[in-house]
Amino acid sequence: MKRLTRVIVFLLCIVLLAGCWDQKQVEKHAYVFAIGLDKGEENDPIEVTYIIVNPDYGSQQQGGGANEPAFETITFPANDIISAKDTANVIVAKEITYDIARLVSVSEDFAKEPDFIRWMYDLTKDPEIRRDLQLLVTKEKTSDFLKNNKPVLETRPHEYYKQALERGKETSMIPFSDLLTFFRITETGEDLYLSMYGTLEKTPTTNESTDNFKAGELKASGISGQAQFAGSAVFMQGKMIGTLTAEETRLAYLLNNTLNPQGMVMTFQDPKHEKYKVAGRVSLDSPAKVKLSIRDNKSPKINVHIPLNIKIFTNHSMVNYTKDYSKKEILKKSIEKELEQKMNTLVEKTKQEYKAQPFGWSLTARKKFSTIPEFNSYNWLKKYPDAEVSISVNVRLGQFGRQSEVPKMKELRK
Amino acid sequence: MGQHENRVGTKELVAIIFIMMGVKVGDDTPPILYDVLKNAAWMGPIIIALLTAVILFVLFKVASAYKQKGLIDIVFHLFGKYLGWIILFVLWLGISAATIIDSSIYSDIIVTMYFPKTPTIIIYLLLMAACTYGAKKGFGQIGSVSWAVFPYITASLIIALVISLRNGTTAFFFPFFGPGEMEVIKESIIKTSILSDYLFLFVFIPFMKDLKSFKKASWIGLILITLILIGGIMSFLLIFDYRSVQMLDYPFHEVIRYIQLGFLTNVETLFFPFWLISSLVRFTVYLYISAVIMGRLFKINNFEYAIPALATVFVFIGYIPESPDYLIFHLRENLLNILTPIFIFLPFILWAVAKLKGDLRREKTN
Repeated sequence: MKRLTRVIVFLLCIVLLAGCWDQKQVEKHAYVFAIGLDKGEENDPIEVTYIIVNPDYGSQQQGGGANEPAFETITFPANDIISAKDTANVIVAKEITYDIARLVSVSEDFAKEPDFIRWMYDLTKDPEIRRDLQLLVTKEKTSDFLKNNKPVLETRPHEYYKQALERGKETSMIPFSDLLTFFRITETGEDLYLSMYGTLEKTPTTNESTDNFKAGELKASGISGQAQFAGSAVFMQGKMIGTLTAEETRLAYLLNNTLNPQGMVMTFQDPKHEKYKVAGRVSLDSPAKVKLSIRDNKSPKINVHIPLNIKIFTNHSMVNYTKDYSKKEILKKSIEKELEQKMNTLVEKTKQEYKAQPFGWSLTARKKFSTIPEFNSYNWLKKYPDAEVSISVNVRLGQFGRQSEVPKMKELRK
Repeated sequence: MGQHENRVGTKELVAIIFIMMGVKVGDDTPPILYDVLKNAAWMGPIIIALLTAVILFVLFKVASAYKQKGLIDIVFHLFGKYLGWIILFVLWLGISAATIIDSSIYSDIIVTMYFPKTPTIIIYLLLMAACTYGAKKGFGQIGSVSWAVFPYITASLIIALVISLRNGTTAFFFPFFGPGEMEVIKESIIKTSILSDYLFLFVFIPFMKDLKSFKKASWIGLILITLILIGGIMSFLLIFDYRSVQMLDYPFHEVIRYIQLGFLTNVETLFFPFWLISSLVRFTVYLYISAVIMGRLFKINNFEYAIPALATVFVFIGYIPESPDYLIFHLRENLLNILTPIFIFLPFILWAVAKLKGDLRREKTN
C-alpha cells in the first residue's frame, strides 16, 4: 500500500514537468523574429511591426506548408510591445512569443522623439526578451522597411538578418549594438551610443572618399528591394541626435580603447599619385591607448595612440613600394597623416555637434577619480567639448599582397 | 535529538555552507550591495568575510569550552532558563523571517524570470513542499544531498561567471572606491548579516562528527563563499556597469540570459535547474534550523513532525505581501540591518558571559 502511494505520488510529479501554466507547445506559437517600433498615428502611442517566421519553411519534410512563404509581416497600432502580443492575435491565429526574437528595429523619426526611451524600457520587462537583442535604426518607417526588405537569396529572415548584421560588424561598417549596451550607455549618460543604421531608400551621393557613405547612399544596382546597412545612428541619453557614415563608424571603432576591430579593408590616398588610392586591410596591434590627464578640475587632455598594422593590397600607381624603403616611408607617413586628419575631424564633429563622444573615453576618465561623488562633481559631459585631443596613428606596413612586386609602367610600355 | 546514527562530516558541511550562503550570489543579495556600494560592491564580501572570521573565532572559543554542545544548549547554559529562552526566541524569529522572506523572493524569481503565467502560490507551495520533504528526512540526509549536488552547482556557477567575466569591460571597476572608502567599510559592516547564517549553523554542532570537522568546514566554507560572492558581483558589474546593475532585480538571471555558449543561445535553461536545486537545499536547511529551535523552545521532542505545519504557516505569511518588488525587498534589507547587530554582538556577549562564569578557563586546564 505504501509502495503504491509512492508510485502514485511520483506519477503525479510527471504532470509538473509540463511546466504547469507555462507549458508551451511549439506548434501553438507564432515566433516573432523582429519587433519594429514606429511612432503611432494620432491617438496611438506606437505602431508595432512583427516579422513572424515560418518554422516549416525550408525544412526537409515539407508537409502541408510547401507553398507557404518564409515569413509574414504585420503592422498594427498598440500601446506597448507587451500588450501588442495580445492585440496581434486579432490577425494572427497563434499565440505570439518573443522567445527567438533577435532584432528590435525602430524608425529614425521615432528614435528622435524625446519620449522614445519610455517605450524602450518595455523591453526590460518581458522575460522573453533578452538583452542581446540587436538594435537597428531605419531611415524610413520601420514597418515599410521590414515589409519591403525581401532579399533574393537569403529568403529566411533570421538567417538573412543574422548574416547581414554579423558581416557588417566584422567589416566595421556598422557598430555593434545590442540592448545591453544601449541601456548601459543611456543610463550612464556620459557617452554617445552608436546603433546600426539601415535603409531601403536609395539616395546616392558623390563623396570624395570611398567609404564615406551612410546606408542608402551606396550606388548599387542589379538587386531590388534589398536593404543597405551602413553607418550608425547616434544616441545621446536615449534619444537619437544624428548619424555617422560608415567611415566615421570605422574611425570610432579604432578610437575606442575597449574595442578591438580586426580586418576592415580601407582605402587611402596614394602619396605618389593623386589619381589613385591604395586599399589595405587594417588591424590593430593592440586596442587604442588612451591617455587622459586632468589638471585642476579643468577640461581633460586626451592623448590617443593607435598602433595599426596595414596590409596593402593594391598598387595602381605601380610605384615600387615594396623594395624602396624611402617610398615605403612616404606611404606610411601619408596614411598616418590621412587617418589622423580624418580622426581629428570626427573628434571635432563630436565636440561641436554632439557635445559628447562615442569612443568610451569617459571610462578612461573614471580611472582618474577614486570615488563616484568626485567623478560626478567633475561633470565629464560639460568638460568634454573643451577637451584637448591629440591623436597619433602609428602604421606598420605588413605584406603587399600575394605578389608583392608589380612592374614599372615605364618598363611595361617601352 | 535523534539522528545520531548519521552524523555530518566536513565535506557535507562545506557543501551545506556553500549552498546556504554562496548561492546568495544568484538572488537579490548583489543588488542590495550594489545599491549602497556601487561599483565597489565586490569589496563588500571581503570586509564582511573578515568580520565574520572574527565572529567565528569568538564563537569557536565559546563552543570548544562546551565540547559537543550546540548553540541552543550553550545559550540556555549561559543565560539561564528565562533569558536564554528570550534570546533563542529572537533568534528563531530571525531565522523564520529570513526563511519566509527569502523563499518569497525565490518564488518571485521563478515566476518573473521563468514561469510568468503560473500563479505564484503554486510555485511557492511546490517549493516549500519539496523543502518540507527534505527537512523531514533529517540533517544527515540534508548533508548527503548537499554534498551530492555540490559539484554540479559549483561547476554551473563557475561556468556562468567565467563566461560573463570574459564578456566584461574592466574599465567599469573605476572609480575604484565607488562611493568612498569609509562608505564602503561602513555599509559593508551594516550588511554583515548576509553571512549571519553562520550563527545558526552552530545549532548543528551536536549533529556533527566532532567539533574539529565543524571548525574546518566553517573555514573552508567561508573562503569558498567569499570567492564566489566576489566573483559573481564582479562579473555582473563588468557586464552591466554600476548604474545599470543597480536597477536589476536579479542580475544573475539577467546575466545567464545574456551570455552565449559558443553557438548556443538561450542558455539560461542550462543554468536554471542547478540554481533551482540549490535553492531547494537552501530552504530545506533553513526550515530545519527553524524547526530545531522551535522544538527546543516549545518542548516539542519530535520536532520533525512539526515541519509540514511550520512550512504551511511560512507559505501563507510569505504570500501576504502583494507586490514582492516593493515590500519584500524592503523587508529583506530591514531584516539584514536588524540581524547585523545580533550577529556581531551576540558572539561577544556569549564569550564574555562564558569568561565570567569561568568556563573558558576550565577548558584550558583540561
